Amino acid sequence: MSTVAPPPGRPGLRPLALLVRFQSLLGLVLVLLGGVLFSPHRHGRILFLAADNVANIVRSISETGILALGMTFVIIAGGIDLSVGAVLGLSSVLTAALLVNDGWGLAGTLPLVLLVATLFGLLQGVLSTRLRIQAFIVTLAGLQAARGLALIASDNNFINITYGDGPGRAPPGFALLGERLFGDTFPVATLVFVILAILAAFLLNRTRYGRYVFAVGGNERAARLSGIPVQWIRISVYGLSGLCAGVAGIVHAGQFSFGSPNDGAGYELNAIAAVVIGGTDLFGGAGSMIGTIAGAVMLGALANILQLNDVSAAMQLLATGAIIVIAAGLQTVVGRDASSR
Amino acid sequence: MDKTLLLELVGIEKRFGGVHALRGVDLDLNAGEVHVLLGENGAGKSTLMSVLSGVITPDSGTLRLDGHPLRLQSPRDAQEAGIVMIPQELDLVPGLDIAANLFLGHERRSALRTLDGPRMRREADGLLARAGVRLQATRLVSSLRMGERQLVAIAKALAAEARILILDEPTAALSAAEAEHLFGVVRELRARGVGIIYISHRLEEVGRIGDRVTVMRDGRVAGQAAPDAPQAELVRLLVGRDFSALFPGHGGAAGEMLLSLSHARFIPAVPRAGWQAPRDVSLSVRAGEIVGLSGLMGAGRTELLSALFGFEAAGRWEGDIEVGGRPFRPGTVDAARQAGLAYVTDDRRGSGFVAGHTVARNIVMSTLRRMTPHGLVATAAERRQVAAALERSDVRPRRPEAKVINLSGGNQQKVVFAKELLSAPRLLLLDEPTRGVDVGAKAEIYRQLRVLAAQGLGVLVASSELPELIGLCDRIVVMQDGVTVAAFAAGVDEETLRRHSIGDATATTRGAA
Repeated sequence: MSTVAPPPGRPGLRPLALLVRFQSLLGLVLVLLGGVLFSPHRHGRILFLAADNVANIVRSISETGILALGMTFVIIAGGIDLSVGAVLGLSSVLTAALLVNDGWGLAGTLPLVLLVATLFGLLQGVLSTRLRIQAFIVTLAGLQAARGLALIASDNNFINITYGDGPGRAPPGFALLGERLFGDTFPVATLVFVILAILAAFLLNRTRYGRYVFAVGGNERAARLSGIPVQWIRISVYGLSGLCAGVAGIVHAGQFSFGSPNDGAGYELNAIAAVVIGGTDLFGGAGSMIGTIAGAVMLGALANILQLNDVSAAMQLLATGAIIVIAAGLQTVVGRDASSR
Repeated sequence: MDKTLLLELVGIEKRFGGVHALRGVDLDLNAGEVHVLLGENGAGKSTLMSVLSGVITPDSGTLRLDGHPLRLQSPRDAQEAGIVMIPQELDLVPGLDIAANLFLGHERRSALRTLDGPRMRREADGLLARAGVRLQATRLVSSLRMGERQLVAIAKALAAEARILILDEPTAALSAAEAEHLFGVVRELRARGVGIIYISHRLEEVGRIGDRVTVMRDGRVAGQAAPDAPQAELVRLLVGRDFSALFPGHGGAAGEMLLSLSHARFIPAVPRAGWQAPRDVSLSVRAGEIVGLSGLMGAGRTELLSALFGFEAAGRWEGDIEVGGRPFRPGTVDAARQAGLAYVTDDRRGSGFVAGHTVARNIVMSTLRRMTPHGLVATAAERRQVAAALERSDVRPRRPEAKVINLSGGNQQKVVFAKELLSAPRLLLLDEPTRGVDVGAKAEIYRQLRVLAAQGLGVLVASSELPELIGLCDRIVVMQDGVTVAAFAAGVDEETLRRHSIGDATATTRGAA
């Protein structure tokens, strides 16, 4: 009558268990293999693996990737944050406005932008926990509000960032975000993503805070009974998500040398897609940062393959949609199969 | 009412692969009778009821309805025969109103094939009245309380012309008052000749609602009992051996005072229906003692424990409360844990563990602060502690990476114990510590509690199973409507406890209900 989990080392189970454990990485490997197989060739070389192309892929995923890091915390804690794309837009505009219009230096601009984005996230967290409004609703409203603030901050304008000294120009150091390192191979934007990803993985897996996030998302009442500060955890994950959106906004402004109030639209969905493909449970309580990172890279690589093959934009969207469904569907099937054993 | 045999099951056998779930079960049901079916998890109750509601076909054996053989190939067959089962998870649609739920799948329609709302509401009112329910048929099910939903489910069964009603632990999620109302409705249906099979886990209900009791064990009928049989007899049938043999005996000398309440009273911030606040509580627990809390459902045992721990009980205490000899004001879980208290609730799945997480993660959950110096996880130390805790609490399998959801009920409960004990508490609050736990795990939990008490732990344990309290506790305090009304030393008998939990003031009203 008692259902007992199978012992660890039963040989027949190992492949499946491994598959479940590394599901998102497996998907990533498949997509990369596909990229190599279907890549066009030029001068006998595989275009997909060309240094320039790889740099393109890792650069293109850096912003979504950064958003997805924060999103992972929110979703594991049992929430959702639809505002991140808009907060990215707000942050990019704020960065440009402060640097160009108001003549602030980097030392003042960057912390202020990050503070605004973090506070914006925390406010959403407070609204959803204290007033018990569903996170979906609060952050949907937050999405609108952040766009509104972005329009106000930019005076409804696209702000170009020009570099140099004197009024109306941004400090040249900021242009670094659009550059590449190591002999022009590794985009700085990607470096920012990598550093944040390491920090996020550390925070989630190696700290008390990370454990609390899992516990709150897994069973809020049990967490409360254990003396875990449930409310603070629920609020703070939105702060983290806001912070990530702020960083992504700064990176955005630096990469493209402008701030536009309408940028970042739809990014939140890509971030959520990366998290879900990475195997994080939308109901909360389970997930992994490595998975999220793999999910983000997978989406970027996929888009790149389709572009290389001159697939039309419409078909790209359809293919991306299909991959999300397949990836999430496979995980659910495999995951369910494994847990019911 | 005369005893007319309504339903008869003879020699029902069912195997699932290698599992012999039903080994020749005989059961019968008279019209106008409440037949209580008791059994531990896995005893075969659910399988038997699935046979009866046409969900599964038995390998052999016969069913007879009104003396005629009955073949049930599908749930529809059972329904047509007038057999309706009301599962624990009610099959109601919360977003629809009561009338729509009652006629779900059998909607009344007008000549134009559109829904005939007025007619359904009219008929619904009639059905609700027959079930003794005073509810407007236009109310949304989502706006109803659990007890009301249960009654709607019964009305729905009546809509399907049920002659035989199977209730699966109907009071599991109900407050005492709601349960009382449900009992009234069940008695009314009985008076109208409906045969009712009442599956229950709560021994205390048996005598109040049942006409006959059948106990199942290991796929067989272990025995029958009169509804007013002592709980000890029922428990003996349930577990198949003398229950008192499970207990390690009583303790030695009691030590220092760990918890003392003197005329303590809890004032909830927001009064909740069905939540019996402690009104006047005096009791004490010393080191090395296991003290029991007895009382009827709704007497306020659970409420006392949760308010002491500051868990899901907003409000303030008045009166004298001391923990470890110092004045103590319960308020937050943190304060309670700091003061050396730990708490195992009666709702294992709801607040005891995180089902999808590993055993290891669960065990360290309430001690994380201590185990994460500078906020960082100390993997090696944690692994050692978890391994030791698994050993101490005898969790099987001894696999820290197993997910709790994959463990048996007994082992899940051992994980909850291991988690609470890891904080090395001085006083352990327990609420129904062996509910849904198999016999082996029960004995292990009792043994462990006695060992811990011998090492100086104090235990305050609430239970609705009198034999458990009598076997385990050094002293037993009886509660009634939020008041501690009596206290007894070890050796008290069931009858005395029962008499004191009913008491004079409430005897008449409860008797009449």
